[in-house]
Amino acid sequence: MGEKLLITSSPHLKGPNSVRGIMLEVIFSLVPASIAAVVLFGFHALLVLLASVASAVASEAIFQKAVKREVTVGDFSAVITGMLLALSLPPGVPLFVPVIGSAFAIMIAKQIFGGLGTNFVNPALAGRAFVMAAWTMHMTADWISPFAFDAASGATPLGLLKETGQAPGLSIADLLIGNRLGSMGETCIAALLLGGAYLIVRGIIDWRIPAGFLGILFVGTWIFGKSGAYFQGDGLTAILLGGAVLGGFFMATDYVTSPVTAKGRLYMGMGAGFVTLLIRLWGSYPEGVTYGILLMNLATPLIDRFVVPKYYGYMHDVALRKKARAGGR
Amino acid sequence: MNGKRSLLHDFTKGFIEENATFRMVIGMCPTLAITTSVVNGFWMGVAVIFVLTVSNVLVSALRKQTPDEIRIPVFVILIAAPVVIVELVMKAYMPAMYATMGVFVPLIVVNCIIIARSEAFAYRNPVLNSLMDGLGIGGGYTINLVVIGGIREFLGTGQIVFGSRAFPAKPFFEPAAVMLTPPGGFVTLGLLMTILNIVIQRSEQKKAAREAAATAHD
Amino acid sequence: MKLISIILGGVLTSNFIFIQYLGLCAFIGLSEQMEIAVGMATAVIFVMTFASTVVAAVEQFILIPLGLQYLRTIAYILVIAGFVQLIEMFLKKTAPALYKAMGIYLPLITTNCAVLGVAMLNVTKGYNILWSTINGTAGALGWSLAIVIFAGIRERWKFMDIPKVLKGFPLALISTGLMSLAFLGFSGLFKGVIK
Repeated sequence: MGEKLLITSSPHLKGPNSVRGIMLEVIFSLVPASIAAVVLFGFHALLVLLASVASAVASEAIFQKAVKREVTVGDFSAVITGMLLALSLPPGVPLFVPVIGSAFAIMIAKQIFGGLGTNFVNPALAGRAFVMAAWTMHMTADWISPFAFDAASGATPLGLLKETGQAPGLSIADLLIGNRLGSMGETCIAALLLGGAYLIVRGIIDWRIPAGFLGILFVGTWIFGKSGAYFQGDGLTAILLGGAVLGGFFMATDYVTSPVTAKGRLYMGMGAGFVTLLIRLWGSYPEGVTYGILLMNLATPLIDRFVVPKYYGYMHDVALRKKARAGGR
Repeated sequence: MNGKRSLLHDFTKGFIEENATFRMVIGMCPTLAITTSVVNGFWMGVAVIFVLTVSNVLVSALRKQTPDEIRIPVFVILIAAPVVIVELVMKAYMPAMYATMGVFVPLIVVNCIIIARSEAFAYRNPVLNSLMDGLGIGGGYTINLVVIGGIREFLGTGQIVFGSRAFPAKPFFEPAAVMLTPPGGFVTLGLLMTILNIVIQRSEQKKAAREAAATAHD
Repeated sequence: MKLISIILGGVLTSNFIFIQYLGLCAFIGLSEQMEIAVGMATAVIFVMTFASTVVAAVEQFILIPLGLQYLRTIAYILVIAGFVQLIEMFLKKTAPALYKAMGIYLPLITTNCAVLGVAMLNVTKGYNILWSTINGTAGALGWSLAIVIFAGIRERWKFMDIPKVLKGFPLALISTGLMSLAFLGFSGLFKGVIK
């Protein structure tokens, strides 16, 4: 049987978007941040990136071969998972961390459910949460000094913020360019914002998710950020530090694990921001973005259940009901 | 002859055919909670063998006198008694292990495995068979606990510890602490079940292929 | 403050399913459809709250004065089984519709290790009757949150091409592992702020 006859119901729309096309655009939007990471942190960062992507692609191919399914690494979704995972790791981690993390992300968080479109948590974040719990020491200490390329011990600004309640005075320029310790995708915010803006303009991601996420984080940190006082927190620094921009633009927006409706997406972004705020201010981990987004991934089916979009003809029904009530007295 | 074979079968079925964790999928809570190390798993297994065997024997011995309507409460009492014994003995002679197992020692009384065996087997079978059933299912369960515990302990700490000896003496890879946490436990058990399913599926396919080949030859 | 910390503990940081491994059988078995999950959750909240009260009362007024703590396990399980039986009979007489709706879940709760588990944990933490009840409710809320979230996720599996060897328990367990990974984020929440 050479011909495959596809029978689907209407509507039939032909557009320029394909899975592969969208994925390539996302990869493109991540390139500035990846380049920035290598520029800031050196050769080892490049190795981490490559190892992560290679492991993701290999894991996907191996798994799909093993279950006798079509191998879909050509759609580049595994590449993205690999890149996102790498960007969320400290640049100095030993290479087995991204390798195992990517394998976990692809095989356990994505492929066993049936592949693209079937996972219920963001695979890259699941991988990150896994390696965070497995090799916490590496995930919290393997930093590299920007531009100096030596291993650096010591806390990141976010870590310091957690322990001492004070972030070392960082100007906005510092925050945007990334001249500080942090994960590979967490420091050069300017590059990330560039990529994020590109995706919004191209209509690939919904602005509501990062808006809700960063919005709540900003407002919440402003109100509660300074211990002992209210409305004195540094909201701007909060959204520019840590994985907030990376997570908000690139991870929370994953189609599969975010709600279907516009309102739902806003709520999801806000929810993720809220949980991130909780963990950053009052939890054990210095960074809560991973868990904020993962938990809202879990809530997405429920959000989809309860946030019902206005259907076509809704206003007509409202008018009818009004008339009925007025007439039936 | 038939009686003897059946007795042996009642013992062995608990290890594979009616493996509590992987085939019947009951009694999951302690299975996941306790298997952070081989020793923990082993002693919990021993405790379960004891309780299961004693309760099976008691339920079976009294089965003709137990009215159907109140059989569940009766089972509960007959299970609770050996559990209390285990609790007291552990507290007295293995206080450290008792402390490690925490709330899961008394929780043996609601371990679905034990009630399920009372209901499904001991209540309907003679005492000797019930004894074998208890030993077999309990034994199989103990092996499950030791295997799962071994995997989690090895991957999570890099070594397996027996009292004062550890294998290997020094871990040769960086242990993944996550294995000792709940996510590690859930995923390990899920993967083990999957592997077992794969093995069973393969052997069934082979059997079907052999049968097909056999009939083709006729 | 203690109130908040107990509730946060039961629901988030020490979630009965994702962190404490209690009540798993029912969780995996009854989470395939939202309606069933919600039904079981309601029953669990009800039973865990009031069973904790009764059991704590038994501890305070019978076991301790008579020095019978070593019989705790037997006493508790009998109380719980009897309590559930009473509720069943009571519901059957007074609210037959509710009984029919909740009917099958009630006897299942007796063996739900979360109920006996929380009762035992109350003793370990030295809670009096009031705090035991609250802890029971908190744990039940956490359990319910878990099963409702899971049901939402599982309902989507109908549309997925899951390999046969993974269908059912294996996938459920691995998924629970992923959810549990997410809940790890709550560890140590409010630790410094709330005593």
